[in-house]
Amino acid sequence: MQTFVPERLEWPQSAAALRATVREIVAEHGVTDPVARANCWSKPDPAFSRKLGAAGLLGMVWPRAFGGHERSAMERYVVLEELLAAGAPVGAHWIADRQTGTLILRYGHESEAERWVPGMARGEIYSCIGLSEPGAGSDLASVRTAARRDGDGWIIAGQKVWTTNAHHAHVMIALIRTDPASERNAGLSQFIIPMDAPGVTVRPIIDLTGGHDFNEVFFDEVRLPATALLGEEGNGWRQVTAELSLERSGPERYLSSMALLVELIRYAESHGDKALADLVARLAAETWTLRLMSASVATKIARGEDPALEATMVKDLGNAFEQAMPELVQAAVDVDPAGPEALGLVLGHLLQVSPSFSLRGGTREILKGIIARGLGLR
Amino acid sequence: MSDEQTMLAEMAGALFASLGPKAGAGDWNAVAEVELAGLLVPEAQGGFGGSWEDAVMVLRLAGYHALALPVAEAVIAAHLSGRSSGRGTLASGAQGTLADDHFSGTLTGICYPEGADYVVAPAPQGGAMVLDIPDAGLSLSANVAGEPRAAATLDRVAAQAIPGDVIGLGALARTAQIAGALDAALALSVDYANQRQQFGRALGKFQAVQQSLATFACEAAAANCAAIGVAQAMARGSAPYEIAAAKLRANRAVGVGAALAHQVHGAIGFTQDYGLHPFTRRLWAWRSEFGNDAYWSAKLGPQIIARGADNFWADITALTD
Repeated sequence: MQTFVPERLEWPQSAAALRATVREIVAEHGVTDPVARANCWSKPDPAFSRKLGAAGLLGMVWPRAFGGHERSAMERYVVLEELLAAGAPVGAHWIADRQTGTLILRYGHESEAERWVPGMARGEIYSCIGLSEPGAGSDLASVRTAARRDGDGWIIAGQKVWTTNAHHAHVMIALIRTDPASERNAGLSQFIIPMDAPGVTVRPIIDLTGGHDFNEVFFDEVRLPATALLGEEGNGWRQVTAELSLERSGPERYLSSMALLVELIRYAESHGDKALADLVARLAAETWTLRLMSASVATKIARGEDPALEATMVKDLGNAFEQAMPELVQAAVDVDPAGPEALGLVLGHLLQVSPSFSLRGGTREILKGIIARGLGLR
Repeated sequence: MSDEQTMLAEMAGALFASLGPKAGAGDWNAVAEVELAGLLVPEAQGGFGGSWEDAVMVLRLAGYHALALPVAEAVIAAHLSGRSSGRGTLASGAQGTLADDHFSGTLTGICYPEGADYVVAPAPQGGAMVLDIPDAGLSLSANVAGEPRAAATLDRVAAQAIPGDVIGLGALARTAQIAGALDAALALSVDYANQRQQFGRALGKFQAVQQSLATFACEAAAANCAAIGVAQAMARGSAPYEIAAAKLRANRAVGVGAALAHQVHGAIGFTQDYGLHPFTRRLWAWRSEFGNDAYWSAKLGPQIIARGADNFWADITALTD
């Protein structure tokens, strides 16, 4: 049995140059707040997103005709890991660049692709994901938000919840029931919904730190044109499953706590002891391994495969690593998690937000269920 | 995988499966016949001329079949010494002096001493040394998995200093073996969970058991990726950072994986008759051998801290760019 077949990694020739470009842009933009560097892909900064767009670092693999740059998937991977490792504020464009643009290009009507994708590549159009509902969390197949035909178009009614960055987004891709008689994962379809369409209301949900990432999104008889149907009617579940592979496989699934490891090393530079050095070594070993695993999945995706099982394993291991780190650091270092030292501030932030890492993008329990099925259990 | 690698994997896999954990010293001939020890020795010197990826693949299979023969040691010893004939083995420790082509002192952790033609050990002043296996003065023992080990006290025996890192390459080999043994223990555990019925259904139907095995699978995956990662890095010639990181990661996977394998198996896995312990006992032994967590942390941690926080990520990416 070998559940994860590691790929021979072929890093692009351009990797070093791309890294230098990203490091320069990040340094020039100035990302000095250590708390902002933690979990940075939930921190929106439209000015930074536009800079990346101008530098050709968004929509890297998309066709030039839609504002993309036709670079390789591994070149894009290099840029992603550099941005995340630097703690750059990539939250505004992250979802659009990672999955929405790709999905619209893959399944969407040409007029929708023309409307949304070039702006995404410029770092000006942002998106959110409409999956969870009040009655459909991990049990995603119970979504009840409905679309009914209205002439050529559609009318949407219902509600989504836990929608990250809905208040910054211009567009949502939502999973919606198109066949009212259907149950579970049949009769679902994906729709492209402009966030400024009449009848769309966004209400904030404030998290336990006082931060605002989450929202409720209400659809009150929202009229959409025929082109808003993304892909095939009734094929939504399969499309979402493929989308989740994009969503689960990236380097953001192990790098969210990297700012804490960097601050730990900085602290150890002047407070050296053996316990700290051991902890740094252990966390570095995890980082090194997870990077290879994540890049191995990216290599498979770049070849057109769908390594759903491997992607799930990397997310589960990555989340466990990101979540273990705050507790390990708190045990090893006598620092106040309320600050003012940088290490303490990052620690305090991650202690509070890291429990969400194994919820977003699929809970740990759901992921382990997928892995178990991949092992031939059930 | 190339066609050549597929053939090598099929040949080694079939051979190791037929020999397995019950192999004895007399079975070495079967390995010698296919000249596996020369896997890393260049063709010009009479070896197979394989890559480190070939070696990790073969040593992973040795772990996968809990092979009770010193293929790993022979491959690394031949690579370090450049010898294409005879069976070499490794010793993990040496205390004493190497001077005028003679060594006086103690060798520890000599692996599978019986029938070995020579031993490669770390040299006291750094690098490595090759010695003939002494006829007398061997103090025979075994690791917790029952694999033969020995120590020897030597007085002015002929020894040749050679370059190389015995502990590092030994750790690389153990990482590959750990990856294989974890995958094999995982396969046994999954099969057992699907067969064993309790409360009227297979254990594998219970979510708690499923989640344990999923956790185990992730750890086995991490160890496998670490092993392959080191092999790819060795194309550069040496990979001290990667070896330290990979052995540390594999050692962690041992703790989680071996414990979950036994938990899923229940009491049957604890018996001598059942075939789980050849894997788990080796995993526990190999976690100590060629550097435990403390050893590799002491290599890696201070080096990273000395380089400084702002070089941490750049140093990791520089390993692959």
